[in-house]
Amino acid sequence: MCGIIGYIGEKQAGPILLNCLSRLEYRGYDSCGIAVAGGGVRVYKDAVRVKALEETLPRGIKGTVGIGHTRWATHGEPSRVNAHPHGDCAGKIAVVHNGVINNFQKLRQQLSSEGHSFISETDTEVIPHLVEKYYDGDLAKAVAMALGEVEGSYAIIVMMAGEPGLVAARKDSPLIIGIGDRENYIASDVPAVLDYTDRVIYLEDDDIGVITTGDIKVTRQGTGVDRKRHRISWSMEDAQKGGYGHFMLKEIHEQPKVIRDTIQAYLPADESAADLFGPGDTYRASMLMLACGTSYHAALIGKYLLEELSGIPVRTELASEFNYHGYHFAAGRAIVITQSGETADVLKAMKRLREAGCPVTAITNVVGSTASRLAERVVYTRAGPEISVAATKSFIAQLMALYWLALRYSKIDISRWDNLVMEMRQLPGKVQQVLDNDAVILKCAGQLAGYNHTFFIGRGINFPMALEGALKLKEISYIHAEGYAAGELKHGPFALLGREAPVVAVVARDNTYEAMLTSIKEIKARHSPVIALVAEGDEAVGELADTVITVPQTDALFSPVVNTVALQLLAYYVAKERGCPIDFPRNLAKSVTVE
Amino acid sequence: MKQAVILAAGEGQRLRPFTVNRPKVMLSIAGKPILQYVVEALAQIGIRDIVLLVGYHKEQIFDYMGSGEQLGVAITYVTQEKQLGTAHALAQARDVIKGEFLVLPGDNLIEGATIARFAAARPEALLVKRVDNPARYGVVTVDRGQVRGIIEKPEEARSNIVSTGIYAFTTQIFDFIESELGIPDVLNRMIARGGDIAAEETDGTWRDVIYPWDIVNLNDAILHWIQASLGGTIEEGVSLKGQVSVGKGTVIRSNSYIAGPVVIGDGCDIGPNVCLLPATSIGNNVVIAPFTAIKNSVIGDDVNIGPGSTMQDSVIDKGCVIQGHFTASSGQEEIKVDHEHHLVNVGAMLGEGCRLGNNVVAQPGVIVGNYSQVQPLKLIRGRLPDRSLVV
Repeated sequence: MCGIIGYIGEKQAGPILLNCLSRLEYRGYDSCGIAVAGGGVRVYKDAVRVKALEETLPRGIKGTVGIGHTRWATHGEPSRVNAHPHGDCAGKIAVVHNGVINNFQKLRQQLSSEGHSFISETDTEVIPHLVEKYYDGDLAKAVAMALGEVEGSYAIIVMMAGEPGLVAARKDSPLIIGIGDRENYIASDVPAVLDYTDRVIYLEDDDIGVITTGDIKVTRQGTGVDRKRHRISWSMEDAQKGGYGHFMLKEIHEQPKVIRDTIQAYLPADESAADLFGPGDTYRASMLMLACGTSYHAALIGKYLLEELSGIPVRTELASEFNYHGYHFAAGRAIVITQSGETADVLKAMKRLREAGCPVTAITNVVGSTASRLAERVVYTRAGPEISVAATKSFIAQLMALYWLALRYSKIDISRWDNLVMEMRQLPGKVQQVLDNDAVILKCAGQLAGYNHTFFIGRGINFPMALEGALKLKEISYIHAEGYAAGELKHGPFALLGREAPVVAVVARDNTYEAMLTSIKEIKARHSPVIALVAEGDEAVGELADTVITVPQTDALFSPVVNTVALQLLAYYVAKERGCPIDFPRNLAKSVTVE
Repeated sequence: MKQAVILAAGEGQRLRPFTVNRPKVMLSIAGKPILQYVVEALAQIGIRDIVLLVGYHKEQIFDYMGSGEQLGVAITYVTQEKQLGTAHALAQARDVIKGEFLVLPGDNLIEGATIARFAAARPEALLVKRVDNPARYGVVTVDRGQVRGIIEKPEEARSNIVSTGIYAFTTQIFDFIESELGIPDVLNRMIARGGDIAAEETDGTWRDVIYPWDIVNLNDAILHWIQASLGGTIEEGVSLKGQVSVGKGTVIRSNSYIAGPVVIGDGCDIGPNVCLLPATSIGNNVVIAPFTAIKNSVIGDDVNIGPGSTMQDSVIDKGCVIQGHFTASSGQEEIKVDHEHHLVNVGAMLGEGCRLGNNVVAQPGVIVGNYSQVQPLKLIRGRLPDRSLVV
């Protein structure tokens, strides 16, 4: 998904384009760019977010016509050269595009043989060259002829030096025209232009629009059509959140789809999957896993999975600490996990590993990010753009990637394999069940919201869940929360237990079960209120804990998937109860690009 | 008419177990929720400003419809906190409605042609349709093109003209909503006070789902609309006849025989040697093991069906795991819902997340509650509540 914008009017286009682009960043943010016409066409673009582009722009760009783009890479890594707008040979045409051109390779070869030169790896770049080829004084006609050769999906805006208007067209990608007063807008969605106008036209597939300062003409196969004008009554924020109060809740609810997308992407490829650990089997001797924050919790679960299923010894380290270890590590391969692919500590560790000759597999959500370029092999997670600072769906996507890796390199027998794959396919439904039955979680949140200190405990594969549950709670609700291995509580923290320090216990039906019951009893004896997260059908815990949140039963190996969703909802509802700015907590940034 | 309000807050109790965990409008027919058909019909006739009135499990509607962008519409969500009827629901939308607007039920499946002419009707107006079984619906008395009254589910229907629940209103309707629960009550009172409500008739598609077995019939009717489109991987030796739609990432393995209309979702693993016969809908992420034959049935997302199973006229909701040799054949059965008895031809109806052992046989008409578990070699019949354990 990408976002595109066009402006034509009497004001300076630059600031308007940048503002609209920032509204479109939820559609992708690995690169962005604008082109402004005032005399010639000037293009400013880079693999940065809109705010960063704005800071590097020269002052006072003159021009009242322009187009802009914010990108989520599909063809070609995020880089300055692959960022939109793209141009023709003469530098007179600029194009922004959202969609995928399926036959771009064929078109590119053909155009190259006709003397056109290409500089990017994108599919989009064929469009300005096609337009250049067909242009004979009528831009709209040239665009129509160019699109006649294109197969795929697109929403495009074309600008050309000396032409009085912008040309827009769509097929299977959204595009709207915003109607202003002596100015007009073109955008991927309505919210992008709501700061300026609430009157819009929705373009249909195969429509071509010619937009000038005072006029909008829409044609279809050469004949003019009249498209209705709509007045928009809703606000911009609401639209992007699709009914939800916060991006975080929206993203929590997207998780069944993320899991299903992951399964679809990874599972059927049993024969053709890329070799993620490289040739040979040196990785079997030992592996190193590095990450920070929520991704580190995913790594702790990854360690458990790889050791359990494949017998590979794994050492997991915080990337920020690893960089200060002096000693040598003997690892056949390293796995790094970073949602953004830009986490400074992880990148630094990757460089160190590279110098030491240790091959690295990166698990990241952003195609072409720095981590993906530094890594020898890459596994992309299928979470899509994540807006909320608190990671939710990207964490689930990391877990799913790790399950897949562990299964792929596992040494388990076929019936255990079949069982695990079947359980994995059930996960979207089980997560949906947690989402559908959030009444108890809501109630627990009401109780927790009144406290200032909390503990989260777990054992085995659910110990990282305790860490993650505590992290979610503290980062968005500002309640002091500590995640602990259940057995460690008596080595110190017991001194803090009491009526004012509730404990959230994550209980799984595996070999840790009895020990968890003992822990809960010990905590109850110190009068701390206990909220227990248990699998359905469990009765023993219900008799010990004050409140029980039940999640669907699944194989104990997959219990972190359902548990994490329940803990995310708990943190969310507590923060909501306390009136916190959930999507943008104080002092925190989405990706940490400094050490 | 530029704006439409879709009523999507309802629960659909008579459709249990399928509506215990989902709003009625999200029931999937031929691969799409009913609500999507309504939104697409509106987009088709150029109505893109859509107010969705949501309530029961509204998050599932948010998750699926989002901002409406994918369907080319702009959606505003309005929440009805308690499901107190359609008139109360409509009143919640007062602040976001401007001028003239359409009101449509989100749980009746329509197409663009159903409402194309009606969208130009002058409010207040009601869209009516002639049907064979009027007593299931609100029967409308029409006199010289004007509505004289609506009687909900009468003992004896005086005409075969029924209300589609699709209205054209102006904001003046809000002045008439008092404590009534349903929009028909409001209309009856408007008429009693001398108001004019035009009756416009349609002969386009308008289909309702009231009972669980209606899903099978409606799926059959609507599947005939689909166009063949093949994504995923079709292995050698697969026979495809008629209109078959296969989603991306799906694998259909060798020697499977698929006779359309059949729609198969994304990421499924089907075969080898699986037989899918008309008219069958398969959800996303479904696994169907070898030597299974399925006819005229609806299979939900994430379902796993073991080898050698036979299913006919059945509904298997999402997340069911069925071991091998399950048999669900169709037959005429008398089924009781609330206090009504219905004689229907149907196979098995399984709620979500059920687990069935090997060699389970389902009697025609069995309705199994959500998350039930059935041990191997069991015969299941009648109506089983949610979380039943058959041992």
